[in-house]
Amino acid sequence: MRRWLALSLIVLCWVAVGFAVLSRLDVQDQAQQPAPHHAERIVSLAPNLTEILFALGLDEQVVGVTLHCNYPPAAAEKSKVGTFWQPNIEAVIAAKPNLVIALRFTQQKDTIERLTRIGYDCLMVNVDKVGELFKAIKEIGSATGRHAQAAELASSLRTKLNQLSALMASNERLRVLWVIDREPLRVAGRDTFVNELIELAGGKNAIGPTVHKYPPIGSEQVIACAADVIIEPAMAAESLAEQQKTAIEYWSRFKKVPAVANQRVYVIPPDTVCRLGPRLYEGVETVARCLRPELFPD
Amino acid sequence: MPDASDRSFFQIEQMAELLTPNKLAVRIALGLFVLGAVMFLCSLIGTESVSLKAVFAGGAKAPAVNPDYEIFVRVRIPRIVLGAIVGAALACSGVVFQALLRNPLADPYILGISSGAGLGAMIAVISGLTWTLFGRSPIAVFAFAGALGTVWLVWLIGRLTGKFHLTGLLLAGVVVNAFFSAVIMFLTSIAEAEQVYATMFWLMGNMMEEDFVVLWTAGGCVVAGTVALFYLGPQLNALSFGEEDARSIGVNTGRTRAAAFAIAAFMTAVAVSISGLIGFVGLIVPHGVRLVLGPDHRQLLPLSAIVGAIFLVVADTIARIIVAPAQLPVGVVTAIIGGPFFLLLLVRYSRSVGWLK
Repeated sequence: MRRWLALSLIVLCWVAVGFAVLSRLDVQDQAQQPAPHHAERIVSLAPNLTEILFALGLDEQVVGVTLHCNYPPAAAEKSKVGTFWQPNIEAVIAAKPNLVIALRFTQQKDTIERLTRIGYDCLMVNVDKVGELFKAIKEIGSATGRHAQAAELASSLRTKLNQLSALMASNERLRVLWVIDREPLRVAGRDTFVNELIELAGGKNAIGPTVHKYPPIGSEQVIACAADVIIEPAMAAESLAEQQKTAIEYWSRFKKVPAVANQRVYVIPPDTVCRLGPRLYEGVETVARCLRPELFPD
Repeated sequence: MPDASDRSFFQIEQMAELLTPNKLAVRIALGLFVLGAVMFLCSLIGTESVSLKAVFAGGAKAPAVNPDYEIFVRVRIPRIVLGAIVGAALACSGVVFQALLRNPLADPYILGISSGAGLGAMIAVISGLTWTLFGRSPIAVFAFAGALGTVWLVWLIGRLTGKFHLTGLLLAGVVVNAFFSAVIMFLTSIAEAEQVYATMFWLMGNMMEEDFVVLWTAGGCVVAGTVALFYLGPQLNALSFGEEDARSIGVNTGRTRAAAFAIAAFMTAVAVSISGLIGFVGLIVPHGVRLVLGPDHRQLLPLSAIVGAIFLVVADTIARIIVAPAQLPVGVVTAIIGGPFFLLLLVRYSRSVGWLK
């Protein structure tokens, strides 16, 4: 019995010592966070954030990007710090950043918390909706000392979007089914930025309000939604041609759906419509071209 | 025909002769030495090359001045220590579950700890909580609570089926596991894609560096748990011959079982709460050690802990670098290198050791 008591006491002391000594170390580290400064070495953990940084003219300052950052072409040349879903913290530190920019969601937040603990300056932005994109551009602009460029970028993007929306608004809104995955069939619901994209391009989502953001649907709903246009972003830019072929085959089973009957199933390049970044206008234009090809004669 | 108690006495005496304290001490010391060497070597391997000279120059006040030091001391070492702690905890509690359930298929997760912890983690992710408790995230706290809660529930149901009725306990574990897995599936199907993705990584084993205070506390708990189970070694030896035999030589089977069970469950819950679900370690390491060194629990418990630590540190190092700059879930690596290696041991040693007959 005595040795059990001794063991328990040792454990208690061990834990107490740990909390007394080590937790103070961790707190000290947090207190040492330096004040804001000029961002000279920036690591970006998301493709759309990389695009924003380059659009703000920070080409030289960006020293690390993810494997998915392929635009602008210069971004693909930067050193890689892991993938969007799994940033590699060793590679981030090895890039010696003085600012790390990430999106605010679990996987990225974990990495940011770990970097903050070591003492790195980090900025997390929310970019889930179009409105948040403008806010994020401003936040990144002020964190990197590019206020003017950020304001300029945001306002020119807004102007272009407004012009396009005005052009599209005069038409009747077509019902758009936005396909995420074919097997199992998953589409974009109402509470997504894709929905905003569709509305900016003068269409409306063929799917009504759903529990899921990207609801899985059955054949019944496909027929019931009576989509005028079906849009599928390709899995990758390289597989576009192949996916176009398989799309015709796949959708031919829903002959009653107007989009299929009128041959209005489009497979489009993914990057501009999946990334909420400075190329948002190009994405909206791509969708608008699918909806009203006659308005874009070129 | 000899009396049951005579037979057990004879076997236990035989064990005691085979394993002298000196022999045990030498083997443990050797194991610890190898563990230290492996941990040091693995700390030199990573996606970024680190110069030890720069590391010994020490850390600077500002970040990014000495990235070598930061990578080595703040990222790599904590992660390797974490791997050792988790590996030791899982392997050691694997030994206990195999002995208590008298079932070679038992592992630390068999009584529903995995799905209970998984459900806890899933609830924490979905509810989007952000507080911390002693520096631990809600995922860790909920996983810990889920793990212990589930084991307690299974234990309770097992008791209701009859006093230490092993089949009842096992079935209760399997059914609770299946039920909670179904709840996890349900939550997965209604959760948002991004949350699901985060939980998936956790369910496949999520090793990342932790605060020193977390490592210190968890390490203390695991070492203490191993020592406590070592105290119970002789009783566990007697129990592995069977309930009747153990009682006939004066072992309080009920108390031994409850204590060993509680300690093993606690160690598993600690491991799960800091690293997610890492499979295979708790199943094959105990079997491997038992096949090579024999079934005496006084030796099996400490050496399984050490071998488990070595195994997981190596597996995690492979997981860190093999698809760099991305990472594999460590559970994939433990199964891929552990499976064939274990089969090799099985074929090589099973003829000479009596466990499987």
